[in-house]
Amino acid sequence: MSFFFQELVNGITTGALYSLVALGFSMVYGVLKLLNFAHGDLYMVGAYIGFFIIQFFGGAADLSIAVPLLLVIMFVVAAGLVGGLGVAIERFAYRPLRDAPRIAPLITAIGVSFFLESSALLLFGAQYRVYNTSEFISLSSGIRIGSVTIDSVQIMVLVLGLVLMTGLRILVNRTRLGRQMRAVAADREAAEMLGINVNFVITATFLLGSALAGIAGVMGGLLFNTVTSTIGFIVGLKAFTAAVVGGIGSIPGAMLGGLVIGIAESMVTGYISSTYTNLIVFGLLIVVMLVRPSGLLGRVQLQKV
Amino acid sequence: MEAYPVKGRLVLAAAAVGSLAVAGCSSSSSSSSSTSSSASSGSASASTKACVASVGFEGPITGPVAPLGTEQLHFAELAVSMDNAANNTKITLVQGDTQLNPAMAVTVTQQFTSNASIVAVAGPAGSQEVEAVGGLMDRAGMAFISGSATAVALTTGKYPTFFRVVSKDSVQGPQDANYIVNTLKPKALMIVDDQEAYSTGLVSAMLPVFQAAGIKVDHESVSQKVTDFSSLVAKVTPTESVVVLPWQVAANAQQFGRDLAQEHKTAVIFGTDGLFSPGTFTISGSYVSSFGPDITAIPADAAIAQAAQAKYGSFGTFGPPVFAATHVIDEAIASVCKAGQTPSRANVLAAIKTTNEPASILGQPISFDSNGDLVNGKFFLFKITPAGKYQLIPSS
Repeated sequence: MSFFFQELVNGITTGALYSLVALGFSMVYGVLKLLNFAHGDLYMVGAYIGFFIIQFFGGAADLSIAVPLLLVIMFVVAAGLVGGLGVAIERFAYRPLRDAPRIAPLITAIGVSFFLESSALLLFGAQYRVYNTSEFISLSSGIRIGSVTIDSVQIMVLVLGLVLMTGLRILVNRTRLGRQMRAVAADREAAEMLGINVNFVITATFLLGSALAGIAGVMGGLLFNTVTSTIGFIVGLKAFTAAVVGGIGSIPGAMLGGLVIGIAESMVTGYISSTYTNLIVFGLLIVVMLVRPSGLLGRVQLQKV
Repeated sequence: MEAYPVKGRLVLAAAAVGSLAVAGCSSSSSSSSSTSSSASSGSASASTKACVASVGFEGPITGPVAPLGTEQLHFAELAVSMDNAANNTKITLVQGDTQLNPAMAVTVTQQFTSNASIVAVAGPAGSQEVEAVGGLMDRAGMAFISGSATAVALTTGKYPTFFRVVSKDSVQGPQDANYIVNTLKPKALMIVDDQEAYSTGLVSAMLPVFQAAGIKVDHESVSQKVTDFSSLVAKVTPTESVVVLPWQVAANAQQFGRDLAQEHKTAVIFGTDGLFSPGTFTISGSYVSSFGPDITAIPADAAIAQAAQAKYGSFGTFGPPVFAATHVIDEAIASVCKAGQTPSRANVLAAIKTTNEPASILGQPISFDSNGDLVNGKFFLFKITPAGKYQLIPSS
């Protein structure tokens, strides 16, 4: 039984990461109906920012500031810079194409993904950058229940992920900006006619979604240690899948989708074989899509004619 | 999951190949070539002409194993630079980024074979890429020498222009497996391939040895792009005292080792080739078997090691074999020029076939058998000390 709980903890931790990235995918799709394929690369940028902040403060083995303060700085700076990058991408790459055929921004999104990945390669080189988290957060810290281990980084990822997802849910459901977001997502033209500043809402959506990806990037760096220009691809792909499975455009759906994928991966690896993880997980997802084409928590979109 | 055609990129740095038509050439310098070329008895009438040729380089300059490919590129550049100075040749290196992707390797090879100035190729890096381009190279009559492709099937005679300066899986796999069986003596072990031909080939060569020894084997498989091993590590049982990782990404193995420690598992990691990365893979007590030596420990290689360190920083064991491969090509070109001939694919191929270097950067002689395999190739085994150093140990 302890093996089951260990795999569950591992799956939920990874799933929380997928969920955070999936939220950005889903939010952007909700307001713009755009599949922002560059979103995974924002995760990569966030991971790099975290790495360079560690280096700035002396490196993992020789930090010049307290670890809690370092973590706060990493998350805040990554959220701010990646959020700003997301806003810039929206302003210069997507906004000019807002009324273009939907294939145009889609291709642009792929182009932005290439741009970010290649820029990271040129700026930071091909070598793997390593967080060396265990140098400043002990592997033996955390909780051990029987043979189930939850280390401090996993706990932090779980707690922070939960807080961010809850906060986002409150923002979307109970604030003025959240109502505006939902209005734009429901009908952009009608929202504009009602006096909502659509540009502001879209900018805010990109800011929030990208900031979450930046935070997830730092979490990924702390959890998995390695950073290179290509790490955004696999996380982006999983997050995109999570968003679709949960019901793209649905915030609770993105959260659920991420957790479903994370736990499914972990359980298949643990109980069957890592060889079949992608085969079985994505096979299950195809089944989910066949049964509920709009995703687990998605709503069927009625096409007006 | 492995293939992502939309993002497959070709960064083909088409380096300037100024002199496309190759001039007849001969080195007026004293070539250090030890290649006994069939062209070595040519006339000296062309002795005043420059020895000009281009050599292609195929490797994963971008993508998940870019650190290894970049190291290979650096050592190819270094070999060309040093050989040009020693032989008074004007050899240019033309880069081709394959991303360890056979489709990309085919595209690069098509460009190389249609470039008349390229007379031979150093690379590609992966066995799957060699399989993809072997026919193209053969049709073009282009010699190509890999510094890291180790699959057994490559040297059965089906690719007559293929050579390699490293030994093959049928040597490394059983040698490593026997060491594990006889020295580490596990009752059970986990072996994890990374879904690339290099890795699955080695696993195939090791499994029969483990099975013959009665060791219970849990064979797993994860993509090179995966960095979360927590679920896999949770499967490591107390009786599985060894985890074999024939991987190419050292940072992933480091993370695997960290996950082992985090989940309080005591299994020893036994890795291969790509895991030779001091500074990146530092899990104390781990073993790394490599087709390349640590050239910093070979006194005769001091000048090369210092030059590489000064120009490119730290390096592992993927670069030196490519230096050796490029050097073989450079010497073949120089020997053709010394014979008063213009380097062409045909005469360079002929010269490479008769390569007989009594000493090399790899600390062993280089000559090829009739199928292109390195004669008497060997592997090197290292153990990582608590200080993160790689200590050479006897492997048999």
